[in-house]
Amino acid sequence: MQKIFLLSLVLAALPALQAHHSFAAEFDTAKPVKMTGVVTKVEWQNPHIWFYIDVKGSDGAVTNWGFSGGAPGQLMRRGITKKVIQEGMTITVEGFRSKDGSNNANGARVTFPDGSSVFTAGAEDRAPGDGKGK
Amino acid sequence: MKTLSVLFAIMAGTSFAQTKGTAVPRTAEGKPNFSGTYEWPKALSGEQCRCSATIFDRKLFAPLKPGGEPFYEPPTGDPRHDEPRDFCMPAGFPSGMLSANAMQFFQTKDYLIIVHEFQRMTRVIPLDGRKHREDIEPSFYGDPVGHWEGDTLVIETTNFKRWGLDDYFYTNPKEYRMHSDALKTIERISWKNPKTLSYNLTIDDPKTFTAAWSQPFEIAAKPEWEAAGLYEYVCEENNRCPGGKCQGK
Repeated sequence: MQKIFLLSLVLAALPALQAHHSFAAEFDTAKPVKMTGVVTKVEWQNPHIWFYIDVKGSDGAVTNWGFSGGAPGQLMRRGITKKVIQEGMTITVEGFRSKDGSNNANGARVTFPDGSSVFTAGAEDRAPGDGKGK
Repeated sequence: MKTLSVLFAIMAGTSFAQTKGTAVPRTAEGKPNFSGTYEWPKALSGEQCRCSATIFDRKLFAPLKPGGEPFYEPPTGDPRHDEPRDFCMPAGFPSGMLSANAMQFFQTKDYLIIVHEFQRMTRVIPLDGRKHREDIEPSFYGDPVGHWEGDTLVIETTNFKRWGLDDYFYTNPKEYRMHSDALKTIERISWKNPKTLSYNLTIDDPKTFTAAWSQPFEIAAKPEWEAAGLYEYVCEENNRCPGGKCQGK
């Protein structure tokens, strides 16, 4: 986890310049999301990684959400490997919901229980409140 | 595979040939050797794109000619028009070259091959003096041929489809920049220093502009990326939400 924390410091200092060109087409900046859940699956594939978490609602019902990140190659060159997010982890994800209103979103910032975080996406896949992008 | 083996054998013999008194790597024929791994081109002027690519500096544009207004094409709301790459359509040149991904150059006596990690864009550029091919369909990446002017490699590319010039629309979504099918590009590549390539790109689009215009870029060598090399990029593998409509889970 210490490695991840250090990594997040490095990433915070870097200009975010990665990812497939699709954010504007796929995700709605008017619909920020932030949710916590247990990772159920990670797809380390192109053109974007996807990871899925089970989120328990206030009524106890569990909903599975999918989050899209950067391209695997771009993330790996930034030092983020598929080991960073693994099944069974409890994580908090911030991003923007997909335009079709389904339980999918871009996953821009992933925060771990110890408070460390990684920016898993790219410039146009910005996280809510970070001021990037349009 | 045999061809590739020969290619790599030739490159192995030329990659580190040096001319005495200069740190610029040279081939056995004495030409500057650009084989290596690089960052994408970085602009020397202009605003930074709110996206994952370098964009052109509008201050360098030549004036539009009458009839060239379609260069600034508005979005239509149809994602297949507004961001065709979202459907794994190609970025084309020069847009793809400016995408913020690693790229690798392979150079032989007769070819420069540029492989860009984004969409695995591959440009095979003959350096053997041949002319442009004739009677072929316009394409996303055009038809390049290269020649040497001293220590500068000059690549002229013609025969493009009308397509997006760059990613500026991520900065201003009301403003697309579409080059015409009359586009001709001229790239001039040379070593600025042992760690940096000078990369000058001329946009000659006579249907759009009153004159050709050029923008200087720099390309940083990244030998530290050699070990990992380029990563695979198969857009169709898991393109789950094209056009904002997510499929599967």
